[in-house]
Amino acid sequence: MELDPVIHAAARLRITATLATLPTGDRMSFPRLQELLDMTAGNLSTHLRKLEEAEYVEVTKTHQGRMPVTYLALSKRGRRAFEDYTDALRDLLGASE
Amino acid sequence: MTHSDDDTPLDPAEMLALLERQKRQVTLSYVRPVAWLYFVWGFAWLLGFVLLWLARVVDWLPLGVAGTAFGVLLIASIVTSAIVGTRIGRGVQGASNFQGAVYGISWSLSGAAFAAVGMGLIHNGLSPELASLYFPSAYALMAGIMYLAGAALWGERSQLVLGVLLLVVGSISPFFGSPANNLVMAVGGGGGFLVGGLYFVLFMRRGQRGGA
Repeated sequence: MELDPVIHAAARLRITATLATLPTGDRMSFPRLQELLDMTAGNLSTHLRKLEEAEYVEVTKTHQGRMPVTYLALSKRGRRAFEDYTDALRDLLGASE
Repeated sequence: MTHSDDDTPLDPAEMLALLERQKRQVTLSYVRPVAWLYFVWGFAWLLGFVLLWLARVVDWLPLGVAGTAFGVLLIASIVTSAIVGTRIGRGVQGASNFQGAVYGISWSLSGAAFAAVGMGLIHNGLSPELASLYFPSAYALMAGIMYLAGAALWGERSQLVLGVLLLVVGSISPFFGSPANNLVMAVGGGGGFLVGGLYFVLFMRRGQRGGA
């Protein structure tokens, strides 16, 4: 079985898993996501770009007062991909036991 | 804890462990402040109601002092809750904002409603003796209902247990008469919050061990 290469990298798996904890319809700010992941801003941006290119993550840019804030959420496609990935992982491990 | 943030995929077992660890870390970030809140409220209820009880059984503590101390403890806990509550939800916006706002406002609205009923009763001749049975009960019932609503909103079992406990405490305490009803509130309500806080501390310990 082929594991989704977009998610099958440590950093992107952790990003996707964190965003998947949000209920549908909610978004998380970049700084909060960074804090929960304990990653550098540069590293997080790089991986988010890959997830955005695959259309797994939706980016909303807005302003809080005069400060620009970026909010992130899994797209419907991203949420499905994450569930499929988790299922595939469990299947693989179940089969190898 | 160190994380490999590069592109190299780990083997499936490691990836699954990484996934579970990350989910647990996110859960803990929500649970940690809730544990603190339970301790703050447990302390406020326990100390506040014990003071109200003491004021009626000893000479050296005037009721006014105990009442003021109770009020200060309550207001301090409310302020702590409001601050912690907004911190838990920081950096998240969207559909759940409405839920959170309605829930937050419901505390003040129902608190005011129950207080107004008490005022109305006093206005119509409710004795201080009976008022001292009504207010603690009304407060426990209100908090109980709010915790049940919280349990429903966030699928959180500890709030379900706490909500039911507060309903029980609120409805049985008047049967003990004044001032013993305050002791029921202190032990039942305050104790319930403290046990809730301990439960979360144990949950976090388990989480950390499991994640190591």
